[in-house]
Amino acid sequence: MSRFFATGSDSESEESSSADEITPKAPGTTLKQSLLLSDDEEDTKRVVRSAKDKRFEELTNLIKTIRNAMKIRDMAKCLEEFEQLCRAFLKSKNIVDKEGVPSFYIRLLADLEDYLNQLWEDKDGKKKMNKNNAKALSTLRQKIRKYNRDFETEIAAYKEVSRKSFLPPLTCSSSESEGEAGGVSAKSFLKKKPDEASKSSSSGEDDDDDDDDEGWSGESKESDSESSDGEAKRQSMAESFLKYVLFLILTFKTWESRKHIEEEEEDGGEEGGEGWEKVKYGVPLEKPKMFAKGTEINTTVVVKKLNEILQARGKKGTDRAAQIELLHALAAIAAEHNLGQGILVKIKFNIIASLYDYNPNLAAFMKADMWKKCLECIDELLDILFENNNIFIGENIAEDSENLAVSDQPFRVRGCVLTLVERMDEEFTKIMQNTDPHSQEYVDNLKDEGRVCGIVDRLLTYLENKGSTEEICRVYLRRIMHTYYKFDYKAHRRSLGLQGETKSEQDQEESEGEDSALIMDRLCKFIYAKDRTDRIRTCAILCHIYHHALHSRWYQARDLMLMSHLQDNIHHSDPPVQILYNRTMVQLGICAFRQGMIKDAHNALLDIQSSGRAKELLGQGLLMRNMQERNAEQEKIEKRRQVPFHMHINLELLECVYLVSAMLLEIPYMAAHEFDARRRMISKQFHHQLRVGERQPLLGPPESMREHVVAASKAMKMGDWRTCHSFIINEKMNSKVWDLFPETQRVREMLVRKIQEESLRTYLFTYSSVYDSISMEILSEMFQLEMPTVHSIISKMIINEELMASLDQPTQTVVMHRTEPTSLQNMALQLAEKLGSLVENNERVFDLKQGVYGGYFNRDQKGGYQQKQGGYQGGYQGGYQGGYQRGGYRNQNQSNY
Amino acid sequence: MCYRFLPERSVSACFPPFRRERLMASRKELSSVSSSGMASTGGTLDSPVKQVQIEGLVVMKIIKHYQEEGQGSEVVQGVLLGLVVDDRLEITNCFPFPQHTEDDADFDEVQYQMEMMRSLRHVNIDHLHVGWYQSTFYGSFVSRALLDSQFSYQHAIEESVVLIYDPIKTAQGSLSLKAYRLTPKLMEICKEKDFTPEGLKKASIGFENMFEEVPIVIKNSHLINVLMWELEDKSTVADKHELLNLSSSNHLEKSLQLLMDRVDDMSQEIVKYNTYSRNLSKQQQQKHQYLQRRQQENAQRQSRGEAPLPEEDISKLFKPPQPPPRMDSLLIAGQINNYCQNVKEFTSQNLGKLFMAEALQGQN
Repeated sequence: MSRFFATGSDSESEESSSADEITPKAPGTTLKQSLLLSDDEEDTKRVVRSAKDKRFEELTNLIKTIRNAMKIRDMAKCLEEFEQLCRAFLKSKNIVDKEGVPSFYIRLLADLEDYLNQLWEDKDGKKKMNKNNAKALSTLRQKIRKYNRDFETEIAAYKEVSRKSFLPPLTCSSSESEGEAGGVSAKSFLKKKPDEASKSSSSGEDDDDDDDDEGWSGESKESDSESSDGEAKRQSMAESFLKYVLFLILTFKTWESRKHIEEEEEDGGEEGGEGWEKVKYGVPLEKPKMFAKGTEINTTVVVKKLNEILQARGKKGTDRAAQIELLHALAAIAAEHNLGQGILVKIKFNIIASLYDYNPNLAAFMKADMWKKCLECIDELLDILFENNNIFIGENIAEDSENLAVSDQPFRVRGCVLTLVERMDEEFTKIMQNTDPHSQEYVDNLKDEGRVCGIVDRLLTYLENKGSTEEICRVYLRRIMHTYYKFDYKAHRRSLGLQGETKSEQDQEESEGEDSALIMDRLCKFIYAKDRTDRIRTCAILCHIYHHALHSRWYQARDLMLMSHLQDNIHHSDPPVQILYNRTMVQLGICAFRQGMIKDAHNALLDIQSSGRAKELLGQGLLMRNMQERNAEQEKIEKRRQVPFHMHINLELLECVYLVSAMLLEIPYMAAHEFDARRRMISKQFHHQLRVGERQPLLGPPESMREHVVAASKAMKMGDWRTCHSFIINEKMNSKVWDLFPETQRVREMLVRKIQEESLRTYLFTYSSVYDSISMEILSEMFQLEMPTVHSIISKMIINEELMASLDQPTQTVVMHRTEPTSLQNMALQLAEKLGSLVENNERVFDLKQGVYGGYFNRDQKGGYQQKQGGYQGGYQGGYQGGYQRGGYRNQNQSNY
Repeated sequence: MCYRFLPERSVSACFPPFRRERLMASRKELSSVSSSGMASTGGTLDSPVKQVQIEGLVVMKIIKHYQEEGQGSEVVQGVLLGLVVDDRLEITNCFPFPQHTEDDADFDEVQYQMEMMRSLRHVNIDHLHVGWYQSTFYGSFVSRALLDSQFSYQHAIEESVVLIYDPIKTAQGSLSLKAYRLTPKLMEICKEKDFTPEGLKKASIGFENMFEEVPIVIKNSHLINVLMWELEDKSTVADKHELLNLSSSNHLEKSLQLLMDRVDDMSQEIVKYNTYSRNLSKQQQQKHQYLQRRQQENAQRQSRGEAPLPEEDISKLFKPPQPPPRMDSLLIAGQINNYCQNVKEFTSQNLGKLFMAEALQGQN
């Protein structure tokens, strides 16, 4: 059937030009599909359809859905679609008036009515139906009965034909039989085609096309004749096919009786309109043959074909998978006919591009297998590029200046490998983002990372020879991005002086090439020197710092960070760079911690940790927030920024490092400033944790990392370093945190040392008031520190005026001076301060009342007060004698009220 | 702290007014019932009560109440019962209020009071409501809530007093029990609810003369006195060593802490007042300028022979800023004064002890 109706494919263009309303509408799905393969370029370029076509297409689409619904006995759907159909039919009323009721419409009406009646009779079936469907059935039945009254004559005619052809009335399986019919007709057509083709002697595309057309039209003529001489042939042909033909003719006749003019054209047009839809089914049949038989396959032909295929790209309804297949086939043909590498490269470019296109949405991620295909393609492409030195590729080579043919000149192909690889890399990231990190799938995907690196490496070598500086910078950054977060275990081991245990391992080590540190250094320095876009340089610096920090090269990392001045202007960069910056800062902090620079570690981590949004800032997950703050769109964007799981920084490790450094800083500080009214917190978060710990009604043994740190802090407050140590370093904490460091043992030793030192300081701050003197030997024994260390710590405290004491060298003791005010004295000091401000405030009120200069206080007195106050404050520091000067003033003040 | 027990608590939002009326009425009724056995309460307006005489029983009951129910800074309260004889208020009995808990929100205090008093009357106990008692934490009792409750009491029954029991001082060896009444001046202000600076100024009231302390006499029956003498004879010195405790810093620190808090509050109040007066003066200036301009314009108009501009309501144009209520700062000042007295007392006692101890040490 479809083959038959497709006759109109050519006459359609004539028809459209004659139609009144010419709508330059973008070619619809079916058109493209048919034209894609019709070898005719002109047609593909621009297809103009008449309003009629549009309307009829709409109708046929609706009919198709109805038939599908019929097939699955979905009455509700059927009803819904039918109503739509009626509406659509009403819309196309003026066309129908002109053209007559289309046959397919009548056919549906008849079939539907029959079908419904049949269902209605089937009592059992009706019982089985659910309520919705049953209701829809009765409504639909009534509706169609009413509706069909308008088309009685046409339906009667149709029914007559179908009766004539001895066919059982069409039921729900009608569309299947249609399909069959299509197949049969196609066969019959195909049988004829060779004859036609043989008749036409010419070769080449255009002729080919003509040939086709002739075939079609010939067929239609033939069918005319067939019907006219009627019965004889009918039996031999497939019945259904004939049925349609007959019906068609019958309808033609009714039209003829109604209208006198333009029959011929109308016929063609009508059929064409219908035919468009049906051609679709014919497509797969034709697919494999790209070129007409006998066509000489050369570069131009292939390019033409390629363009044709690409034309459909990106348009709605294009079957993308089929397109990729086609391109592959084309590549195979090109390779087969030895058309040279140029064309092959071009096709490859396009294959990769359409692979990327496979997903219509940029936000969605590619399927892993699609991506792997893409990987292979890129690999092959690079193979070709490496093998053939005479291929120039570039984004800015114009389409017409391409040189694809085999000739003496080098090939020139438009396209950019770098972009493709970058896109591939991004897709890889996306795939990793969208895979559950705890699944085997993730591991499998991650294994491909090596291949990605390989491709990037190959591209790097390729571009180093051929690419521009900018391109090199870009590819270098890719390489850096794949390197910076990986810990180089080999180099680490080598630096420790360990040799590989077996011979083979040694060999492997040697073959591995340079250390990642060297690579990073080389690549980054190139970028620093050559890059002109700020972003690539920023990223490179950050990655470089990260890499340094990861490998415990603290000073290099810190210097680079300070030299780059990134802290000042990182706020202006885009979020992904900011995330990278945060990651780098965190890594820097952890590095400082490993090196024992507690203060630096704390400072580096403070910003990230104090916000309480470390997870978000590092791009390692979204925080639960209410929808007011971000809508679905923003959430998607944020999700896209996430760092893949294998690059994550362990958040617990981060928090633990931060809390432990805060503990080591804060506890001695708290002990030193116990009575200070205006004591400031070093770390808010640490205090928060402490408070949470205090709020516990029942204190059990610590479970989580935080509880361990809190418990350790409490022990440290008392100067009990042993307990503190056992809380910080134990099995649980080891498995949770400390074992995550590459140099676990060293870090632990450093920590113990720090704990001892800070505990000593805390002890001295807290308990110095109860000692007259204390032997350093005892201290050294208490805290398991060597004498010189104890000596140096105490000396430092004395120098910094944190500890009021002196060292007695001969006896090795610390002699306390006992000048620290007691808590009561401290309180009194604070009270005095507060009273001072109170008086000042009071005076201001008084000033206001009396005018600034007036009143009982003249300026001298005021000055005198301030002097007194100064003396009073000085007096405190001198030993609290001057404190009562104030009393006199106060009395005076009061009496003045 | 919660003063939940008194309907008189003039945070009247908490109490529907009718309830208070009810209580007052019932109290009046009670007093009228008992007035037959009571001397007339005419007295001078200045201070109808010159002396408070407390039964030992009441003291014991109050102390016991705190021991059993109050902890830390928690406050216990109760009702005093007794009668007025001439200018002497005799407190002969009391009963506590139950501690407030979350789940008895619908506990009817008024009902409770009435029931208690009725029941006590049945066993022939004085049932005239003559005031209330309250424990205190380091002498911090001068507060708005206390003022309001005491005002309601004094408003309803002129002779009522509030007894302040300081358990901490008592624990140090000397019973601390004080009776306070609002001064008539303060009563008047409270009646008018005029707490503006002007109002207070007019009443010439300061933190010193907000409360008046009424001397207390503790009276016991002779039998008890005899017993006391006997007990004193028997008791060893060791039992009294609390009195000689030399450590002072704890108590002082606490007092200082509280004092500091109050001073901070005071500063805030002053700042508030400061802004108010600045705003006021600014507005005054504006007003003045406006008036001057008006005058000039009118003068011009007059010279041109036009009618002067109509008078406008100036107070509408310049709404004076809301003056901050001064009662709070007065109370804070009173509280600070109280703390200072406490500290002074405490230190002087302690100094004496220290000198004594030094002297003793020298002797040994």
